Amino acid sequence: MLERRSFVTGLLAVLGMVMAAVVGIPLVGYTVLPALKKRPEVWIDGGAEAELIPGQPRELKIYQTITEGWHKTTLAKSIWAVKQATGELAVYSGLCTHLGCGFRWDQQKQEFRCPCHTAAFALDGRVLGGPPPRPLDTLPAKVEGGRLLVIYKEFKAGATAKIEI
Amino acid sequence: MLRTIYNWLDERLKLTPIRVALLEEPIPGGASWIYVFGSVTLFAFLLQMGTGMFLMLSYAPTADHAYESVRYIQEEVPFGTFLRSLHHWGASLMMVAVGLHMLQVFLYGAYKRPRELMWLVGVVLFLLTLAFGFSGYLLPWDQRAYWATQVGVNIVGTIPLIGETLVRIIRGGPTLGTMTLSRFFALHTVFLPWLLMGLVVLHLIILRRLGPAGPWDPARATAFSEPFWPKQVGMDAVAMFAAFLILVSVALWLPPSLADRANPADTTFMPVPEWYFLFYYEMLKYFRGRWEIVGTVIIPVLFYALLFLLPFLDRRPERRPFSRPMAIGAGGLLLAVVFAFLTMSLKAVASISLTDPSVARGKQLYQALGCAACHRIHGEGEAVGPDLSNVGSQRNAGWLMHRLREPESVQPGSIMPAYASLSDEELRDLANYMVSLK
Repeated sequence: MLERRSFVTGLLAVLGMVMAAVVGIPLVGYTVLPALKKRPEVWIDGGAEAELIPGQPRELKIYQTITEGWHKTTLAKSIWAVKQATGELAVYSGLCTHLGCGFRWDQQKQEFRCPCHTAAFALDGRVLGGPPPRPLDTLPAKVEGGRLLVIYKEFKAGATAKIEI
Repeated sequence: MLRTIYNWLDERLKLTPIRVALLEEPIPGGASWIYVFGSVTLFAFLLQMGTGMFLMLSYAPTADHAYESVRYIQEEVPFGTFLRSLHHWGASLMMVAVGLHMLQVFLYGAYKRPRELMWLVGVVLFLLTLAFGFSGYLLPWDQRAYWATQVGVNIVGTIPLIGETLVRIIRGGPTLGTMTLSRFFALHTVFLPWLLMGLVVLHLIILRRLGPAGPWDPARATAFSEPFWPKQVGMDAVAMFAAFLILVSVALWLPPSLADRANPADTTFMPVPEWYFLFYYEMLKYFRGRWEIVGTVIIPVLFYALLFLLPFLDRRPERRPFSRPMAIGAGGLLLAVVFAFLTMSLKAVASISLTDPSVARGKQLYQALGCAACHRIHGEGEAVGPDLSNVGSQRNAGWLMHRLREPESVQPGSIMPAYASLSDEELRDLANYMVSLK
């Protein structure tokens, strides 16, 4: 009698584990994998490169289509493009590295200024004053066929390192 | 190790009396394979709960997103198709398990005094299972879901006086739309599960108060008994595992499809319900016009009334099947009718006459020529040309052969391509296949 009991206990354990694995592994994969999926990097059109005047930052509105599962939304994002006097191109995320407010270009002072906590950045992105922990975040950019193309990314606000989110 | 954990918990939670109460329940006449179906039903329900909860993670119960979210589950989420398939076929497993369980209880006369209440709760559980199947069918929001639900809801509308009001309450408005989807979703995922769990608990409490009925032969029932643990538990576990293996195999082998997105404007779609409603669907075909109400209201009401009243109508204590000719005869007749309708309906839906090889060849031609790119048969294929689900009851083979060879000869202006290159025999096969579609 005791033998039968331990046999049934063992049987229950084996059958239970097989079933738990066959259903459990897919359930975990189903739940976890989509959440860990990297966002695809898409080059977004930012307008004609010729319109950028050297030394004169320009705010660009770009339209990014975000796919969350089955749901697609198109969001307008603000970025800043600067053609440096050297001809080098820099594209900055439109969010202040301190707490993520939107900054402006101050034509008189010739610096970027964030209205939230009076941060100031130079044309090349350096911190000139205020609380920001790091320079302005640059975005991957290139020029193709006269069009400025960028990959829109966001970074963790308030951190000294540039951490993509 | 396990023993240590058990002892630790036992000291703090006093588990042993519970374990003894749960496992030492005596089974009159001993354990038997015939008693496993209740456990399998409960197991199927728990699987449905598990897979259903996870499907909800990626599902949106609104008319503008439901279809896309199901497609997302099918096409993009890892294991999504498998989980949806498990849930889809799990519903069928549950129907089969409930059916076998009821059949066993009926055959063994286990619904008789003093177990009338257990039977009543069981009949309600059966109805809830049907409600689960019906409400879940709408959720993918594809053409099949939409039109099958439309038909199901309209059946309710044939009830005299209150029908139209009831239909509005079920739909949540004048038309089948996003309000209906919200209602069905809430019903399927919150109301019905809680109700069912509560009634399962009640069902089991009654079982434990009275104990199982045991063999139908009173001499054998009283001769000896055996505790639930370990033999019956082992048998239940093996049966659950067998059901699980069948479910997983079918789920892997036949993943559920997703038809076109629900389109209320496309009235050409011919809905087909799930197989467990098919016999009823077939039966409805025999009640047309003013007799319709016989099929939609009178027969179902009588059927459920009979189910509910069974333990009060059949009150003799006799449980041996051979000594209950009336009950067993009536039950057998009912099963025969259900299976006859089911077979007829399956034949009609599969639309293939097994006796005529020409029809089978025609069906192959239909697939080889890609006719489904424009025509739809029972929900499969596109809706560019006419729906052919019932073409056999509208056209004869001769007309169809002309139509296939030279469409404009019988219908000027038709956009249907001519299939003049087919041989006469091939045309006849194809026409015969069309004629078999009724």
